[in-house]
Amino acid sequence: MNDLENLAEYIIVEAKAQGADYVHCVVRESEKKEFNVDGGKFSLMRTLFDRDVAITVLKEGRKGSVHVNRFDEGSVYDAIGECIAASESAEPDAAWQFCDEPSEQTYVQGTPTCDTEKLFFRTKELLENIKERHPKILVEQMIASHDSYRSVYLNSNCVFYHPTAGAYNFSLMYSAHDGEKSSSFFGSDVTLAKLDKPVIECALIDRELSEIEKQLDPEPLDGKFTGTVLLAPAALSEIVLGTVFGNFVSDSSLIEGTSIWKDKLGEKVADDRLSITLKARGDDIVIGSRVTGEGYPAEDFDLIRDGKLVSFDLSQYGANKTGFQRAGCSSGNIFIPAGEKSLEEIIAGIERGVLVMRFSGGEPAPSGEFSGVAKNSFLIENGKITNALAETMISGCVPDMLNNIREISSDLLKDGSVSLPYIAFDGVTISGK
Amino acid sequence: MLDDILSVRKSAFDSGSHTELRGQLNRSRRVTLLSGNVVGNARSDVSGVSARVYKNGTYGFSSMADYTPEAVQKVLKAASDNAAFMDRHVPAGKPALPALKHDVYKTRKGINDPAQKVYIDFSKALDAYVSEHCPELISRVVVATEDSMEKLLVTSDGMDSHTILPRSYCYVFLTAQTPDGQPVELFKAFGGEGTFDVNFTDPSVWYGEIDKLYEHLMRKREGVYADAGLKTVILGGMMTGMLSHEAVGHTVEADLVLGGSVAGHCLNQQVASEKVTLTDFANTAFGKRCPLPVFVDDEGTKAQDVPLIENGILTGYMNSRESALHFGMEPRGNARAWQFSDEPLIRMRNTSVHPGTDKLEDMIASIDDGYYLIDSGNGQADTTGEFMFGVTMGYEIKNGKLGRALLDTTISGVAFEMLKTVDMVGDTVVWSSSGFCGKKQPMPVGMGGPALRCKVMIGGR
Repeated sequence: MNDLENLAEYIIVEAKAQGADYVHCVVRESEKKEFNVDGGKFSLMRTLFDRDVAITVLKEGRKGSVHVNRFDEGSVYDAIGECIAASESAEPDAAWQFCDEPSEQTYVQGTPTCDTEKLFFRTKELLENIKERHPKILVEQMIASHDSYRSVYLNSNCVFYHPTAGAYNFSLMYSAHDGEKSSSFFGSDVTLAKLDKPVIECALIDRELSEIEKQLDPEPLDGKFTGTVLLAPAALSEIVLGTVFGNFVSDSSLIEGTSIWKDKLGEKVADDRLSITLKARGDDIVIGSRVTGEGYPAEDFDLIRDGKLVSFDLSQYGANKTGFQRAGCSSGNIFIPAGEKSLEEIIAGIERGVLVMRFSGGEPAPSGEFSGVAKNSFLIENGKITNALAETMISGCVPDMLNNIREISSDLLKDGSVSLPYIAFDGVTISGK
Repeated sequence: MLDDILSVRKSAFDSGSHTELRGQLNRSRRVTLLSGNVVGNARSDVSGVSARVYKNGTYGFSSMADYTPEAVQKVLKAASDNAAFMDRHVPAGKPALPALKHDVYKTRKGINDPAQKVYIDFSKALDAYVSEHCPELISRVVVATEDSMEKLLVTSDGMDSHTILPRSYCYVFLTAQTPDGQPVELFKAFGGEGTFDVNFTDPSVWYGEIDKLYEHLMRKREGVYADAGLKTVILGGMMTGMLSHEAVGHTVEADLVLGGSVAGHCLNQQVASEKVTLTDFANTAFGKRCPLPVFVDDEGTKAQDVPLIENGILTGYMNSRESALHFGMEPRGNARAWQFSDEPLIRMRNTSVHPGTDKLEDMIASIDDGYYLIDSGNGQADTTGEFMFGVTMGYEIKNGKLGRALLDTTISGVAFEMLKTVDMVGDTVVWSSSGFCGKKQPMPVGMGGPALRCKVMIGGR
């Protein structure tokens, strides 16, 4: 056994000795190497060495959790004591349930070892590529990092997972500038297992930089109309997926009973062409998941299949509380299959609407009603993009939009964790000054 | 409290470089009751040491999740190595940071660490009150939480310090249904600076606030959609606080100015009505202790107020030591880090519009057709100054009187245009401090202001 396994074993044994009926822990050692760019210039290099110990116990049906970042026996012993005390203060709840089928997996994901020189080279190259190809873009901030970890998940029912993982992450925030003119800022992100090609060619980064460069002269929209909103993947996540996962299908909304989909399982909730899958792992996911937080094997599952709601995104606790099935995983790796038309073809079919790259809105209401600013957006008229927009708001209702899908694009954003298309929705309120 | 194992390392700091060495402990406690069930019951302690070294215009940083002499030695070496890597590969060739006068600031005392039972018992008492007195709800959530930052900082120049900033809150979320069955929600945070056992001794103190929240929710469930478009509104103090922080504050953070923010072109220009004065306060505002006071920042700079807008004129930026050198300004203690593993970034402390002389009732009475927007769920702003705030609580104003409640909506505008439309400023400042500002790292901040009469775009149907 290695150091992490020994510590995890100690936690299980000691917590049981202190009275826990059930215990699980995640013991993790991580390292980050990171380059920061601010205002277009390199500003900082960071190296972080971190540790985490997360312990959860059940005692007489009462649950407590503690997190510390120390491995020494004294700190861990104290943490176990605090965790037991926390559980003793809680109310018993029969819905807490954890995996009790023994399993053992040791595996490697992504690229655990950092090539620091290559990370620096690709970061510098990305800055140079942006300067050459997109001279009006100013990189407000870029964070390029390699994040790696070794961890052990162990519970008192002999469920054991021991991943070693690592990945390169690039996160850019930028805007276009020309004299005193500037665009709104936009962010592009990608997670990579390998640094085998220029980062600007990954995900949709080059296309997104091009679009932002065209937003130096945005014009306010005149008046208000009901039209088509074509959501780019980032805006789709903000408006539609954020609302669906936050308000309709997750533990809290279903346990509270506030989900408007609580009686819709097996029913049509969206256009037939829409399917939403959560994947545990796959070719397009750099670091996937093999185990849920409750110790169950992580598996892909469909949330919506051909427009029908076929599952909720519930933990075992949420499942026990609501009487529905537990979801296969809690990965956040959302996959929506591509449609048939290219982005250009979709735009060509829109009479009047807006292409929205980013959305800045209020927290979506439990009903799915939303309103906010269509950031980094373009006006579409008679099948063509006419101009960039400023101070334009959109408002609508997500459940209605899901049944008013005009097109799903064949173009996909694949950023190492999700695969999302552009989707055009009809019947959305678009308002200017 | 953290023992000082750092000061003895000061003599070993690299000469010719600026060095910061920081030991830190972040503590958080959280209990969540969902319709009476304890669904969250967690404690977290995160501690360690970090070093940051400035060399010729770039920084090297390193941290370890240990607080031992060996860890101190390791992070100092790794930070120096990283600074040397940057200087070798991307030499910036900048001069050393101007030295600051050495001084020492020590916190007066440690803080209590209440047992988890204290949080659970208090939240159960609030939950029981809600359950009994708010009969029309379809769900309720009560959260009891505390977080604190203890920092021990040793710098090659400037202030050495030992500070502790605890804050604790209870959140109450209430959900009811509209007549057609759609869920509507309101929430409120109670609390502020201080540990949980100090801020929350008697649940009945908060019952009146819960009653008011429930009353607003009962009106909201009968509420209407706002009429979308450019409207004259009264922003309540909480909304003005959001405006101060999101729409103006971020654009005048010097790192965002260097990143192309609109404020880069507006220094010493009129950006707001003459009635608007805005300051990022360090620790004392309008004669009182700020919601989340800061006395020394994480670069060893003594914290002082930063006047940002004076009578409508943009007068300054918030700076780190490095950006202050760039802009020829004075650093005033805005460089703050969230955890031991975070480097200091330019952050706000307690940002507020100054009060005026108008009474809220006169402001409402002055509007024939508009809205009174009281509270916000979230807010975002662009470096162009274009902002968006979610509005969770608001009312119509018709012929100078409050009308029907509003369903959730958003407002938007461009800060330096919208602020020029301010023509009435309330006489009472309202602060909030329960949230986190997000900018690479989270950070507790205070934001506040009086009611403002102005014109903004409102979303709706």
